[in-house]
Amino acid sequence: MTKPEFNKDIIKLKSISKTIEQITTKLKHDVGKVLKRRGAVVGISGGIDSSVTLAIAVKAFGAKNVLGVMLPEKDSNDDSKEFALKLAEKFGVEVLEENISGALEGFECYTRRDEAVKRIIPKFNPAKDKMKIGIPEAFINSNLPPVFFVTVVFEDGSEQSERLPMNEYLQIVAASNFKQRSRMTMLYYHAEARHYAVIGTPNKHEVQQGFFVKFGDGGADVMPIGNLYKTQVYELARELGIPNEIIERTPTTDTYTAEQTQEEFFYQMPFEMMDLLWYGWENNYSAAEVAKVLAKEEVEVEKIYKNFDRKRKTTEYLRLPPIHNY
Amino acid sequence: MKEQIRAFISEITFIDKETITDDVSLFEQGIFDSMGLLSLITFIDEEMGVKTDDGDLTEENFKSINTIVSFLERKKTPAN
Repeated sequence: MTKPEFNKDIIKLKSISKTIEQITTKLKHDVGKVLKRRGAVVGISGGIDSSVTLAIAVKAFGAKNVLGVMLPEKDSNDDSKEFALKLAEKFGVEVLEENISGALEGFECYTRRDEAVKRIIPKFNPAKDKMKIGIPEAFINSNLPPVFFVTVVFEDGSEQSERLPMNEYLQIVAASNFKQRSRMTMLYYHAEARHYAVIGTPNKHEVQQGFFVKFGDGGADVMPIGNLYKTQVYELARELGIPNEIIERTPTTDTYTAEQTQEEFFYQMPFEMMDLLWYGWENNYSAAEVAKVLAKEEVEVEKIYKNFDRKRKTTEYLRLPPIHNY
Repeated sequence: MKEQIRAFISEITFIDKETITDDVSLFEQGIFDSMGLLSLITFIDEEMGVKTDDGDLTEENFKSINTIVSFLERKKTPAN
């Protein structure tokens, strides 16, 4: 079969309802027949991915066999709860709130993270100031692997950013990952208590580019939207009737105390553009062909292709299950 | 200096020193990733006394052992 010419609509689903049906049928089979579980637990954040995942689970198992769990902690955005409740109400599923702040205090998640930030920015006062980590724009188009900076937003609104040395970077990430791993633990508690499966919410980019925490949000029994581009997740969201407020929300990391979009933290480009570029790269469209359609320079697309290749290679560790074939 | 850097890269990547030639592209060949780069920055600071400024973080300076050595020599030579 010849490859279609690259175009801006190439990523759009041929039939949204058919895709939903295919995913739902497979999910029902995988959970019921392969995993032999009788329902689904979904961690809901009020974001688009977990909302679509919950709606698919309801289609597959019926609302009475799906549990939505909200897992806020003290750094979470207050809006998340409101959106998650709206979603649960719309789909008629039971919803529970499990605040994981206490567990995180026990792990010293916040203390360990803030200690590392203070070593770099001693003026940081975690009780009053906010923090986030990210890659400054000047480094985004570099051919070097990304180097993270920590930014403290002080109480008066002023900001200070410093490059993170290896030990501090690793400590901040390792401490923050307690959040996703604690959520996973709580989801498995509820899943095991009901003989349900944990339905993971990562989309294709998160899986392939490694934007997830191993044994955290990457710890699940099935990931029904793990092969969908973000554009396609939005297509499904509209078809499934996800509330508009959720569809229109900007995806955030909801991990650090300062506000931060996923684009700013990790992807570094709007998802519509990233979807098309990733599709082009994954399906061996030349940089020249893709650049022409997306009104970009060929060298820029080549650079992005290289970055994708590097991201996939360097995050392979996250996707690998424990190696046991000794 | 070259051998010191080669030994360091080999030690942290478990890659044979012979494979890490002077001009092999460390990042393109997958020898180094973000963590490798950060470790190297710490190493050249602690072992060689060279601080890497944000503006120094370019492919021209860190692409290969040869470019790293040229970068270090430039940094060690006081500007006139």
